[in-house]
Amino acid sequence: MIPLLVASPLLFAFIISLLPALGKEKLSKYLFLIGAFSPWLFISSIVQKLPLGEVVGGWERISGIEVMVDSYSLPFLVAELLLFTFVAVYVYGDYYPKKSENKVYGILLLLHSGLLGAFISRDLFNYYIYMEIASVSSFALVAISKEKGAKKAAFRYALFSLLASYIFILAIGIIYLKTGYLNLFLIKENLVFSKEINVALVLAFSSLILKSGVFPLHFWLPDAHSKADAPISALLSGLVVKAPAYGMILLILTFPISTLMQNILIITAFLSMFFGIAMALIQKNSERLLAYHTVSQMGYVLLGIGLLNPLAAAYYAMAHSLFKGGLFLSVGTIAEHYGTRDLEKLSYRHNKFLMVAIALLSLAIGGISPFIGAFGKFMLVKEIDGLLKYVFYAGGIGTLTSFIKLNYYLLKRGEKVPFPFKKEVVSLSVGLLTLITGIYFYPHLQLVRDLSFIFIGFVLFYILKKLGLFEFQLSPFFPDTGSKLGREINVYMLFLGAFLLFILFNSIH
Amino acid sequence: MISAEFTGIIIMLIGMYALMTKENLIKLVLSINVVSIGLVLFFIGTGYIEGGDVPILPRSTVVDPLPATLMLTTLVVDVAITSLALALVLKIRREEE
Repeated sequence: MIPLLVASPLLFAFIISLLPALGKEKLSKYLFLIGAFSPWLFISSIVQKLPLGEVVGGWERISGIEVMVDSYSLPFLVAELLLFTFVAVYVYGDYYPKKSENKVYGILLLLHSGLLGAFISRDLFNYYIYMEIASVSSFALVAISKEKGAKKAAFRYALFSLLASYIFILAIGIIYLKTGYLNLFLIKENLVFSKEINVALVLAFSSLILKSGVFPLHFWLPDAHSKADAPISALLSGLVVKAPAYGMILLILTFPISTLMQNILIITAFLSMFFGIAMALIQKNSERLLAYHTVSQMGYVLLGIGLLNPLAAAYYAMAHSLFKGGLFLSVGTIAEHYGTRDLEKLSYRHNKFLMVAIALLSLAIGGISPFIGAFGKFMLVKEIDGLLKYVFYAGGIGTLTSFIKLNYYLLKRGEKVPFPFKKEVVSLSVGLLTLITGIYFYPHLQLVRDLSFIFIGFVLFYILKKLGLFEFQLSPFFPDTGSKLGREINVYMLFLGAFLLFILFNSIH
Repeated sequence: MISAEFTGIIIMLIGMYALMTKENLIKLVLSINVVSIGLVLFFIGTGYIEGGDVPILPRSTVVDPLPATLMLTTLVVDVAITSLALALVLKIRREEE
């Protein structure tokens, strides 16, 4: 039953790619919709029997590939299915021109099945293969965008993601060499902890941190996520970066993690949170602002992993998928119809639907109850105490300030541009969904705390505005010309190598 | 004698060195391929058993076939990625002109 979840979108992706040869390209959009929605048929019967595991093909565990749906993978699966459904509705129809439509639908379905496959797998190599299917489709989807520099962003994303994958397989190889298994249950049963396993874990965590776009290995993310088209950005930020996070959850469920490693993860998580917020505050480009918030929010997910609280990480990842996907869809709709991504020129004032949607989603990302963000933060903060708790809340206030800035710019009067009704409805439904799921999971109101957070956010926004931070222009580290792309990749590769060496030397002693 | 795993890791490091020093985009794609070749060698090395034979059944000592199978999958991924990356290089060149 579980493998069908992955197989059905994969089958439809295959059929769609055959259609041009048969001369029936008109059918591709209907098949896309069927393929995108088909996993819903299976998930409903799976949910009733949790936790449910099976070995594909009925082989023995030692010679087969194991898949499983349990309380750790369910939030990822549900988020994937919900967000992909919204994106499918958004893209369906005339979003892409007739000429490239067929290819985009095929790649989108591949991405769909790749993500679902990664989220159910309990076998290291199988996990890598599905994550790679999702990454390769996302390189192609970034490159489809007409935005200037999208091809370069896709190339840079491809190279770094690929190198990270190879480092990850090297880690899998070391684990296989030492334990003799790829199945995570068998590894856990037969594990004898040694120095080699420790090296493998460090390599695996570093590569997954790169792939999930956490500071300091985030350099490919802002470009790739901000140059893509709106629905593609929603998928990239909402879902593709979650696949590596799920891999990290699998690792902490299987291997004993040393305190030193835990501390490195927690420090990285906090650095990522604040770096993302600081960079988001000075962005002028609406999509780049959201992309830097992904760096910051992935820090929260990594924090859950570092605290060895996989359930909190999983639920925060689900929350982030919903509100960040919704934000990219709604802000992206405005940006697309204005024909610019410059925050100064955009406005949602004349459109009630998008106004409500963005306001709801901004509250959700700020962690205001009873939205889903509050539930994610509640799960995380349970394990933190002392000074770190205040640092954690400061992160929430920073996020709120940045979104007050976004709403402030969007509230300005702009020229009236009509938006298609479908896109408005999709954005608003994601916004309402963050509210509904929030009430379902965590029906508590913390009015005093939340209102004071919003108040501090406004004060902070006012101070920063007076200080002129929002007019501050950060000159790009690398000029946006193609001939420098090679140089840029060299520098980041050098940095990645230094990071790997540093973290290896520090964690082996 | 130097083992296959060790050689594989050295080849991976050579590929990473090239990624850090070469500016030409096509050379970058080639160096990522060098990394992948090193990885394949490393994996094949992990399955090797001294004096092992081809893993067809009625034999006593055979090499571990699993790493070789896994590497077939990785090679397929490599081919796909290389073609995609080269197509992107072409597009970037065209954009510049």
